[in-house]
Amino acid sequence: MKSRTVTLLLMLPALLLLAAVFLYPMLRYGWLSLQASSVLTGLVPVPNGGANWGRLLDDARFWTDAGQTLRFALCSVILELLGGLALALLLHRPLRGRGALRALTLLPWALPTTVMALGWRWILNDPHGPLNAAIHSLGGSSYGFLSTPATTWFFVVLADVWKTMPFVALLLLAGLQTIPADLEEALRLEGASRFQILRRLTLPLLVPYLTLALLFRLAQALGVFDLIQVLTGGGPAGSTESLALYAYLNAMRFLDFGYASTVMLATFLLLLVSLGGGWLLLRRHGLERTTERAA
Amino acid sequence: MAARPPFSSLRRQPAVVGLLAVLLLVLFSASGQRAVQAVAAEPVPIRVLMPAPLADAVAGPVARFNSSGSGVAVEVIRGPLDTETISDLAISSLLLGEAPFDLLLVDVSWLPKYVAAGWFVPLERWFGPELLAAMEPGARLGNGLGEHLWRMPLTGDTGLLYWRTDLMPRPPRDTAELVAISRDLQRRGRVRWGYLWQGRQYEGLSCVMVEMLQGFGARWWDDATARTELDTPQAVAAAAWLDGLLRDGVSPRAVANYAENDALQSFAAGEAAFLRNWPYAWREIEKGEGPVKGKVGVTAMVGAPGEQGGGTLGTWGLSLIKGSPHPEEAVAVIRWLTSPEVQRQLALEQGYAPTWSRLYDDPDLQRRAPLLAVQRQALQHPQLRPPTPAYAQLSDLLARQVNGMLTGQAGPDQTMATAQRQSLQVLRSLAGPPGNGSANP
Amino acid sequence: MRLLVLLWSLGPLLWQLRTSLLRPEALVAPLLEGNPWTLANYQLVLSGDPPFWRYLANSTLVGLATTLLTLLLAVPCAYGLHKERGPLRWGVGLALVAAAMFPTVLLFLALLEIARSFGLANNLLTLSLPYTALSLPLAVLLLRAAFADLPGELEDAARLEGLGLGQRLRFVLLPLLGPALASTAVLVFLASWNEYAIALTWISRSDLLTLPIAIARIGGGSVFTIPYGAFAAATVLGSLPLLLLVLLAQRSIVSGLTRGAVKG
Repeated sequence: MKSRTVTLLLMLPALLLLAAVFLYPMLRYGWLSLQASSVLTGLVPVPNGGANWGRLLDDARFWTDAGQTLRFALCSVILELLGGLALALLLHRPLRGRGALRALTLLPWALPTTVMALGWRWILNDPHGPLNAAIHSLGGSSYGFLSTPATTWFFVVLADVWKTMPFVALLLLAGLQTIPADLEEALRLEGASRFQILRRLTLPLLVPYLTLALLFRLAQALGVFDLIQVLTGGGPAGSTESLALYAYLNAMRFLDFGYASTVMLATFLLLLVSLGGGWLLLRRHGLERTTERAA
Repeated sequence: MAARPPFSSLRRQPAVVGLLAVLLLVLFSASGQRAVQAVAAEPVPIRVLMPAPLADAVAGPVARFNSSGSGVAVEVIRGPLDTETISDLAISSLLLGEAPFDLLLVDVSWLPKYVAAGWFVPLERWFGPELLAAMEPGARLGNGLGEHLWRMPLTGDTGLLYWRTDLMPRPPRDTAELVAISRDLQRRGRVRWGYLWQGRQYEGLSCVMVEMLQGFGARWWDDATARTELDTPQAVAAAAWLDGLLRDGVSPRAVANYAENDALQSFAAGEAAFLRNWPYAWREIEKGEGPVKGKVGVTAMVGAPGEQGGGTLGTWGLSLIKGSPHPEEAVAVIRWLTSPEVQRQLALEQGYAPTWSRLYDDPDLQRRAPLLAVQRQALQHPQLRPPTPAYAQLSDLLARQVNGMLTGQAGPDQTMATAQRQSLQVLRSLAGPPGNGSANP
Repeated sequence: MRLLVLLWSLGPLLWQLRTSLLRPEALVAPLLEGNPWTLANYQLVLSGDPPFWRYLANSTLVGLATTLLTLLLAVPCAYGLHKERGPLRWGVGLALVAAAMFPTVLLFLALLEIARSFGLANNLLTLSLPYTALSLPLAVLLLRAAFADLPGELEDAARLEGLGLGQRLRFVLLPLLGPALASTAVLVFLASWNEYAIALTWISRSDLLTLPIAIARIGGGSVFTIPYGAFAAATVLGSLPLLLLVLLAQRSIVSGLTRGAVKG
């Protein structure tokens, strides 16, 4: 049994660190969410008999934000999957300068979110940003893209798609490379069109990769924070506020750690439910195989 | 130990060794720097965090102080302009336990929160009660909590009512007159809108609500019970009055998205008869070449007929951060920056209201700062925002509800009832079980 | 098609490049007379207090420390997981997948408490501790897949030669793992270079800020208007190292993910 002990010891340091950073916070939030820990208690936790959870249920802002976050996540993830698939198919083809093309299309993903969030703010600036400049030169009058809920929401999604689409493409590219070229060749010899090949061969084989990208991106998008904090600050009038931003405000602006913990834990639970939903939906499509291999 | 080999073997790789060496070097140089800073502490550095406009306003006095041979080098950190943003910045520094500044310029509405969090040092050791006694009544408010003095006021700003001297012979005395004058002027086509104010969903709307609640004989906060009182008939009347301004067209619908600057911009363009704003707006109007320059009067905020109106208190003051390594020197900086000499300059150059009574008595200043008399009058009946550490949340939810009313989502009754219910819920969840509820320091 | 893709990916960046080279007046009045180009924005950014390269250096330091620490912990863990045959294999694997998907921002409050109680705040090297934990799940999954790809006979032969575990790893397995290590390292470095929520709450001293926070503070801390020219210059300066890295490491990123991400 000695080698077993050795493998356990090898894993132990990493697992300890992971437990400290992932597991401990969740347990801590669970405990804090049952306490009042705020400026009114001098930041000292005092049990408050579940008042935080009662407040959560009646907190219109929380539920509005939950809806907004979910809507944002679904829209941006679907667009990212479609765009990422197209991009991956393009990058997979033997083009001249493919390496450079891959690197350059990857760049938006490699940049810090905040960097381009401010870049977008300038591009959408009213009235001096390039978008408004273009509208001006066409004879229109400038438009406050970031002071109208609908357009603001659209551009938040766009900025997210712009940044993370390359990542999805990368995952799918990896999948494409596992598809044997001779299978495709065989189908072509049978006279299948490019679209038929895509439908009958490529997509079915990509399903595990698409599923992985979907779940991974969905989880990340439901926790969206830095993009929204820098691009819109949650505005206008709270119309782009995400759950993570609300939790952040509760902790850092209101100094209400009990309720902030409640919001974070509730966000985590909503995330589990959403992912579980996605999981069940995609279960038939070979997902089990993927996760078994993943685990 | 079986687990060690991979580590020790990695360490033998030259690249890894190089990396570690670089890391160590940086570590050493960083700690070295800190040591040098501590030894060469001559003059003593005192860092002050201020919102940018005030930081610019005190730049002159700070430079004079630094070159006066006081042995202190004041470094003003220019924070963001927006009150909430700079508070966020200060809080995130303070939460970590080692603040990168010694003094903080504190808005009156932050004080209870920061004091409850235990971030300030009481100042009564250095500043006796006779000092505050020499200030205007409004300036004395919001500096002490419990037994202690927590900040020294630097400015005595309050919310004010701006009116057009070219459209009416005298300012309105109450809300009914304000509406009557507005509608008369609008009917005669003299002006597009009557009254402009801040209706956006942000803390500025809470300041408007403080004034209106007071003006209609209601109150937001009861200190004795540490509860909100937002669903009283008077409070609903105050909300209904604001709602009516929009429905009757005295104020534009766009007010629901106005912050201070939006309202000021429209008023300065001559589009309205009245404006609610802070003292700085006067300078902005008189500085420019707009159509209303020289045609604007300022008066204290009005209340409903028979009620005492009053402007929301928006004073700034300096507080000493707990853990500052040089409290004595920092206090010397507070003393200088809040001195009559500096406040006089701020009043002359920037229009900030002084806190010292004797500055208001100064005939020279009276002549050169035309707002002074009104500012003094406003400081006699100022309205405090709820002095509770939970103010940020209470304000957030009231502003949200009232903005919802202004955009037609609910009537005044329901708006105020919801705001009251949610306020109590917030207080319960903040404070723990009853008995803990009055933890209002 | 290729052009379109490039325009989509690089357009916003190129616009920032253009903005960074324009005089502030030229930004608001496009038809300005005279030469609108200038390097003043870069001068402004590089001569700030602290100068901009300081943030680059901070981010680089955190990135290197995180990468190093992650590899130090991930290699043994991946090897152990590779060797493990019991139920732990399944459990740990699933936990790693779950952790890899976890949104970082939900951790910041508890991590802030930890930073405060252990005095870990305002220190770039301790900041790499949570970063390491955030990177570990993906790193272990990638490296385990790489271990699985190695022929098992190789290690058996080395064992018969009498090499101990450490020696086997050092002289036989790690050299073969080179490409996988490289791609993992690049991914870890990128992740820590870009992290926001934790850096936002762990670092309050302005001379220790990492790049994402420093840049956000330029915008969020706007005084009256945002200095867009200077800000664009900061964007360009902050992007250059990454452009370089991505150009150099593109192949290994793709190949690393091909081997690992899904299979792993």
